Amino acid sequence: MEEILSVKDLKKYFVKKGFTGNDKETIRVADGVSFSIKKSETFVLAGESGSGKTTIARIILGALEQDSGTITFSGQEITNHADSLKKIRLGCQMVHQDPYASINPRMTILDIVKESLEIHNIGNNEERNRIALQALSQVKLEPVEDIASKYPHMLSGGQRQRVAIARAIVTNPKLVIADEPVSMLDVSVRIGILELIKELQEKYGISFLYITHDLSTASYIGHRIAILYLGKIVETGPINEVLSTPHHPYTQALLDSIADPDPNNLHIDRKIRINESSGLVTYQGCRFMAKCPYAIEKCKQEPTLEKISDTRQVACFVKIN
Amino acid sequence: MTIMVALSVNDLVVQYQSQKKKVHAVDHISFSYKENESIGIAGESGCGKSTLGLAIMKTLQENASVSGEILLGDKSILSMSEPEFTKNIRWKQISMVFQGAMNSLDPVFTIKKQFEEILRKHNFEGDYKQTIESAILSVGLTHSILDKYPHEISGGMKQRVIIAMALVLKPKMVIADEPTTALDVLVQAQIMILLKKLKKDGLSIMLISHDLGIISEIAEKIGIMYAGQIVEFGNMQDIYKNPKHPYTIALLESIPKLGETKKIIPLKGNPPSLVNPPSGCRFYDRCPQAMEKCKKEPPKIKTASGFVMCWLHEQ
Repeated sequence: MEEILSVKDLKKYFVKKGFTGNDKETIRVADGVSFSIKKSETFVLAGESGSGKTTIARIILGALEQDSGTITFSGQEITNHADSLKKIRLGCQMVHQDPYASINPRMTILDIVKESLEIHNIGNNEERNRIALQALSQVKLEPVEDIASKYPHMLSGGQRQRVAIARAIVTNPKLVIADEPVSMLDVSVRIGILELIKELQEKYGISFLYITHDLSTASYIGHRIAILYLGKIVETGPINEVLSTPHHPYTQALLDSIADPDPNNLHIDRKIRINESSGLVTYQGCRFMAKCPYAIEKCKQEPTLEKISDTRQVACFVKIN
Repeated sequence: MTIMVALSVNDLVVQYQSQKKKVHAVDHISFSYKENESIGIAGESGCGKSTLGLAIMKTLQENASVSGEILLGDKSILSMSEPEFTKNIRWKQISMVFQGAMNSLDPVFTIKKQFEEILRKHNFEGDYKQTIESAILSVGLTHSILDKYPHEISGGMKQRVIIAMALVLKPKMVIADEPTTALDVLVQAQIMILLKKLKKDGLSIMLISHDLGIISEIAEKIGIMYAGQIVEFGNMQDIYKNPKHPYTIALLESIPKLGETKKIIPLKGNPPSLVNPPSGCRFYDRCPQAMEKCKKEPPKIKTASGFVMCWLHEQ
């Protein structure tokens, strides 16, 4: 299948300066991250806050510059050159986490959606209006004309997120990066947004990079998953396989921490298979070693992603299950 | 002094006056639960669940008007004067873990100073050091944390400190308003394990959350709130296994579960505004089973362990 996006050995370090400027601390938000997304696929990037998920998205869109590594978008390497940035910014759009902050409160819904058409000089004003209205109906904001003339404050959270999605698909992108698109929304409207993403994918063949910490919603819409821990991918593969038989202890701990609504939970003592750690982050050896209940002597060396089947890779010497 | 922690809320109404509008945040709510039970209040944002918690603690904003009755044992909380409530009830019998509490620690004081402030405010006359340390130990922290400033500790530790602060005067009941939101998944689970342990040690918890998953970890009783009303109330087992109200059913179904690939049909529409709530059933516009009758205010129908407000279950 055709590869839409391929990220190779991406590295980005942030340097945090102390109060005096002498004590510097380097934070590795992406440390050799590689993955690729195929056409019409939803690829999930999962991890805790601070694991580098959003930074990777920002690097892909050229909002941040990587320290090293390459990003190839539909066959062309993306560099800092204006033409190549334009290509990825047209073909790859983003949906942010917070629909209350990501759309401009002073613009009408129609202006918000057609803004990116204006930026990319697509069509004349009439055509732009037509395309924008079409995008609004694709995300099921009915009645379209009515919604188009409204301002964001007149819409609910779920409707706003639909506006953000309409804005993302209006340029007919090949890839949409969705950064926690449902975490700010109410439980009863979340599914509506997830179903919409699924439908847009089936109809128009859009690929999605779905960034989240919530494995339940991820498993609902994702095809493949990469688990990120402190800037490194620790496990990747088809989502059903990874979540049903995790091989990395961190994936297992994440799964342990999910509480499904089940009345039996009340009488069960829950256990998360993880050690309390000092909280200090070291970049030597396996990053998860301090918290890992299975750590062995060898873990002081750095594990690399190893193939364990045709589709799965894991970076662990122990390989549980 | 022996204390009955049984709490009962009768016909509680809370309205906020905002400019010329009246917001009906909590509308004729009644429920009760027994000593040593924990209760979960579930609902979406804006349904009035936090207001309910604040009303019990008597910490509502000034523009709120309250009517109805809240009984703690046989004492009526609402008719109590403010100094009397502070002296006898607040933090001594009921305390609260506020939403976003992690950010409520004062950045310029050490954790210890902030504990001492609570004790001083409540005219505590025992051994400060010992009381604070036992509270800190009960939430799984060590006393080395006391000399730290809030910025030196992680989000999960801050949340533990906040819970320890709620427990410092050994209340029998704690209201926890979204105690795990804004925390990482692993930390969330660890906080829930902590709450479970505290519950085992005899604490009665009122857990306010939108997450039915975490409520199922500790609550024997559960109330489902929608647009200012409790639409269904009962034993957790009954409600999760045999939900009666269409909203409860939709809410339970709308949570994707691991390993299930079943397609979920999303609920249409949005909750109504609480400024001018519609007459009749508030779920009418979104309900897949709405009928003509539902335009009238639904009755409270008794179920095995509680009640449901829905015409469908009329006998």
